[in-house]
Amino acid sequence: MSNLKIAWRNLWRNKRRTMITSASIFFGVIFATIMSSMQEGSYGTMVDNIVKFYSGYIQVFNEDYWDNKTINNTYELTDSLLKKIEDVEEITFYSPRLESFALASSSDITKGTLVIGIDPEKEDQVTQVSKWLKKGNYLKPGDRGILLASDLAKYLKLDVNDTLIMLGQGFHGISAAGIFPVRGILEFSSPELNKVIYMELSSCQEFYSAYNRVTSLVIMLKDHYDIPIALKKMKESIHAPYNIMTWGEMQPELVQMIGADRAGGVVMKVILYMIIGFGIFGTIMMMIQERRREMGVMVAIGMQRLKLGNILFLETILIGFLGVFTGIFGSIPIISYYFNNPIRLTGDAAKAMIEMGVEPLMTFSWMPSVFYNQALIVFILSLLVGFYPVYKTLKLKINQALRA
Amino acid sequence: MIFSISWRNIWRNKVRSLIIITAVALGICAGMFSTSFMKGMMDQRIRQAISTEISHIQIHRQGYRQENSLQLFMNGSPAMVGKIRKINHVKGVSQRIIIQSMVSSAETSSGVKIAGIYPDNEQDVTNLSTKIVEGKYFDGVPKNPVVVSRKLAEKLNVKLHSKIVFTLQDMDKNITAGAFRIAGLFETPNSVYDEMNVFVRHDDLSRLLDFPEGASHEIAILVDDNDMIASVQDEVKNMVADYEVLNWKEISPEMSYMTEIMDMYMYIFIIIILLALLFGIINTMLMVILERVKEIGMLMAVGMNKLKIFTMIMVETVQLSLVGGVAGIVVGSLISKHFETHAINLSLWAKGYSQLGYDTMAYCSLETEMVINITVLVIFTGIIAALYPAYKALKYDPAEALRME
Repeated sequence: MSNLKIAWRNLWRNKRRTMITSASIFFGVIFATIMSSMQEGSYGTMVDNIVKFYSGYIQVFNEDYWDNKTINNTYELTDSLLKKIEDVEEITFYSPRLESFALASSSDITKGTLVIGIDPEKEDQVTQVSKWLKKGNYLKPGDRGILLASDLAKYLKLDVNDTLIMLGQGFHGISAAGIFPVRGILEFSSPELNKVIYMELSSCQEFYSAYNRVTSLVIMLKDHYDIPIALKKMKESIHAPYNIMTWGEMQPELVQMIGADRAGGVVMKVILYMIIGFGIFGTIMMMIQERRREMGVMVAIGMQRLKLGNILFLETILIGFLGVFTGIFGSIPIISYYFNNPIRLTGDAAKAMIEMGVEPLMTFSWMPSVFYNQALIVFILSLLVGFYPVYKTLKLKINQALRA
Repeated sequence: MIFSISWRNIWRNKVRSLIIITAVALGICAGMFSTSFMKGMMDQRIRQAISTEISHIQIHRQGYRQENSLQLFMNGSPAMVGKIRKINHVKGVSQRIIIQSMVSSAETSSGVKIAGIYPDNEQDVTNLSTKIVEGKYFDGVPKNPVVVSRKLAEKLNVKLHSKIVFTLQDMDKNITAGAFRIAGLFETPNSVYDEMNVFVRHDDLSRLLDFPEGASHEIAILVDDNDMIASVQDEVKNMVADYEVLNWKEISPEMSYMTEIMDMYMYIFIIIILLALLFGIINTMLMVILERVKEIGMLMAVGMNKLKIFTMIMVETVQLSLVGGVAGIVVGSLISKHFETHAINLSLWAKGYSQLGYDTMAYCSLETEMVINITVLVIFTGIIAALYPAYKALKYDPAEALRME
């Protein structure tokens, strides 16, 4: 305890130097926390846009579906399969889906689009489709109408109560054709989802002549921490001809995109912390040089070198802590403000992000790791630097030091 | 005189000076490298977008870009192409029919954009023909050849020379279908583009759609010199006054916007690095002053005026940061230069990058402008860092300073 006290007092013998050094750490930590928070926040938005609004955490497919996404690789929804799903207690909701392609056509514009057949109630529990409804009504069970995503509606120049012609390839090559009234327009935050058509499951099955067949069961969990547990339980009970995939396996591009971006962020933080590390090192070196004589006297009158080294070591760590904690406390109000008020981009910036398939929203993350990672890095840095004064005291030549 | 005094002062305590110099050098070097790396990736993305996707200039009928209607075509496109080709600096001109459609294989179907092109003309404008990874560019298939991406072929579960069917709406608004055979598979770094675009011959598509003779939706122009784009655009505008003539920045404003954002982002990053270095330099210089109180007092006592002392310390700080800065800039530039010709392999994240349209073999791009700006910023940092320590030095009273230990 007394060592710590001495170290603390030593720090304040030269207030300005301590302040400047911790100020440099302070600013470094503020930049690093805000940067990490923004990065993690934007990954969170990207994952949410995919997982919470489309793919769910886990999906159950026919074993051939993923390699060959055709309507022929669908499966019949059996009670025994549903029973097995319901037995896994981590699963909060599930929803059956039939997905395929069709040529959607208004009077003179056509476009090939993804068609998703859903159970309106169950799908709403899983991905909350109805909350994106901008105009018109949500689908009812047994509904013969469709929901159009807003970009597609704009492209086809269709509005609520207009009719849409769809042409496609049904189960086992049967040709699929139909006319459907538009019940509502959906406006998603994710640009990718903004070009799809939602249909009621049974009318979708009828359209594709795939009676009682689905492409997948979308599984929702409480949060992503439950994925490994739920996955293990599901794999135990559900076997071929089914295939179970997590969102990461279904979206390897997204996982890699996040990985690449995170790596870029790490490089920047390494550079920043390297400079801060040199700053701490410089300070400690000067401090030792300045106090050589004092150290010489202390050792000469019988202070153990290790104890002296220990005090200097503690000083280094304390400087680091001072900077880190003030830095973290300084960043908390900024991050908490932007966490609650994410920045919505407009104009060209928004277009550029939509172009990349990303929602133009800058969200901040409140994840604890954003903060404690910085503390950890600075702690390790000051640990490394801290060995220098210990080494120096052990090597101190008393007769020279006394004359310094 | 002052310069050499300051210079010698720096080397009075070698270790201390070297530490701060190394910190500055490393920081600047890393900053240089990461900026030129980002810049290089961005340039590559834009070059790739121009050479495969958008070209330099595009002509459409007014309103086509908003409505995408099949009916909004331009008549007499071969004559237009012929005339435009005669303009100076025009490297290639290609007319296209564009239609959204559904493509089906025996197994499955997907939505795509079909471009009906003249393979020879297209070759001069886009680099599609060089992106063929399997099969041939519109060759080797007797009738109705189509070039699709490898990614789409995988998705449709088809191979080279397989048959695929397009379902689309013709000029009379009837739904019609046409069978095409895959002549070649292409692959660009942009996986989203790959999945969405297929190419057929202009005549084949025109016949299928019952399209008027010589009509097209889009004329794309490639210019041989980036600085000539504006003048070529003006000439084309005069030639085809009724149509919409846009350059690549107008067609894809987000592309040039992304460069701007990236530039800003990079400068913010460099400034953050310099800010962190600033504290280090101030710290060192304060130490220097503290150590030399007696000496400064002596200099004042023997009659050196305050301005000179101030300048001496300023110059010393700027020199200190410049030595590190210049070392960092030189090393950083050399590294960046090296990676201008040697690619950095990012294939670890290949799928992620190609989703964003970036190439996985990344090259750096070093700009003289950036080197100059960074040098100026470093000098600026040195001056700001010097202000406080130099001011401190002036505050000393010679009589007291002399007596200090």
